[in-house]
Amino acid sequence: MIRTDLRYHRPDTPEQASAHLAAHGDDAVVLGGGTLLVPMLGRAEVTARHAVDLRGLGLDTVTEHAGHVEIGAMTTYHRVHTSPVLARRAPLLVRMAAGITGGEQIRNLGTIGGSACHANPSSDVPAVLVALGATLRLHGPAGHRDVAAADFFRGAFATDLAAGEFLASLRVPHQHHRAGYHKLTLCEGSWPIVTAVATLDPERRGAEVTVGAAKAVPMRIPLTTLLDDAGRLDVGGIEALVRHRIDDPWSDVLADGSYRRAVAGAVCRRAVAELLEGANR
Amino acid sequence: MTEPAPPPPGRTIRLRVNGTEHTVAIEDRELLVDVIRRRLAMTGTHAGCYGGDCGACTVTVNGAIVKSCLMLAASVDGAEITTIEGFSGGADLDPIQEAFWAEDGFQCGFCLPGQLFATRDLLDRDPDPDDDVIRGALSGNICRCTGYVAMVRAVRTAARERRAP
Repeated sequence: MIRTDLRYHRPDTPEQASAHLAAHGDDAVVLGGGTLLVPMLGRAEVTARHAVDLRGLGLDTVTEHAGHVEIGAMTTYHRVHTSPVLARRAPLLVRMAAGITGGEQIRNLGTIGGSACHANPSSDVPAVLVALGATLRLHGPAGHRDVAAADFFRGAFATDLAAGEFLASLRVPHQHHRAGYHKLTLCEGSWPIVTAVATLDPERRGAEVTVGAAKAVPMRIPLTTLLDDAGRLDVGGIEALVRHRIDDPWSDVLADGSYRRAVAGAVCRRAVAELLEGANR
Repeated sequence: MTEPAPPPPGRTIRLRVNGTEHTVAIEDRELLVDVIRRRLAMTGTHAGCYGGDCGACTVTVNGAIVKSCLMLAASVDGAEITTIEGFSGGADLDPIQEAFWAEDGFQCGFCLPGQLFATRDLLDRDPDPDDDVIRGALSGNICRCTGYVAMVRAVRTAARERRAP
């Protein structure tokens, strides 16, 4: 139970929401799905006295546009998982949402937007957003502001959100290539230890793997040095390349940085292998 | 003399629980699980972890299963809620409850309400799940007693009963 004298706010407009956040500064938190925030309030890891609930802003829709899909920040993992638009245009997001642990009860509440803003290194969402080239639309006292995913994640639990700002939506470009995806977890319900998204353009000129949870923020690693003239990828060279690139791995209670660095290459190799298997069909 | 502390922020909300309208005064900081258990005195919903891990607090809110320890009651004003007391919708047991009974799918019963809701959510989507799918559907609920084997058997039995009652 929460022991601070929390005041609940339910703004009707983005302007009201930003006004509440700006007025109360560090004493206000954004309430999305609540799966992360509410237990933290209960454990007094967060001691804000104002909760600004985004439920009233209509940010829970998935809209198809030419070239991209707009996903409201309050869209739950369940809605992402069952969205026909995203199945067509961003299947990697659907796959990631299906793999979120904690039961359907969590997927009915938790949001991609909330997970992005929490920016836990050892989580699924940040690397997928970076790999897909997503843009995050923030709303603050001065209105909207767009930030590329690669620029949004600044460090462990640190994002580009400024005072009075909240995440309004995510814009994900239509996914033109299949992606390979692999994540290492310690057990059925655990947070991921290392994740990898592998992408390959159809002409096999560009290959890249985005590593998540190995460092404080996602890291894109081009694999073009491993492509031969015929466009064949030297899969065996991936592990050494990835290990070399992870110079400052993330450590937390789930896994030490030395472990993450040791396994990241293998996770990347599996993501790439899955991608190549699909590409050769 | 010291002044007594002002009361924490609060409000009155309406909840439709198992078909019955309730108007209840709450504190803004109160969790839905605690409003259900303490304000509404419906203690079939259990609080096992307050962390969203164990699933014993599972109820449905507007038709979707959720862990009620993760929700502020203030955020669900006007919602339609089903708790374990309303699981069968009447005096008789639901076939899922009957199956858990027949297969010894529980021991102490603490996790049971959440397991039943997770089971029904699964069978509503997938009438004939295999064991791996069943285990995945129950992965949001922790049981400290049974080791899950009889529970999985109970879900299979429930699925069979629902397909051919």
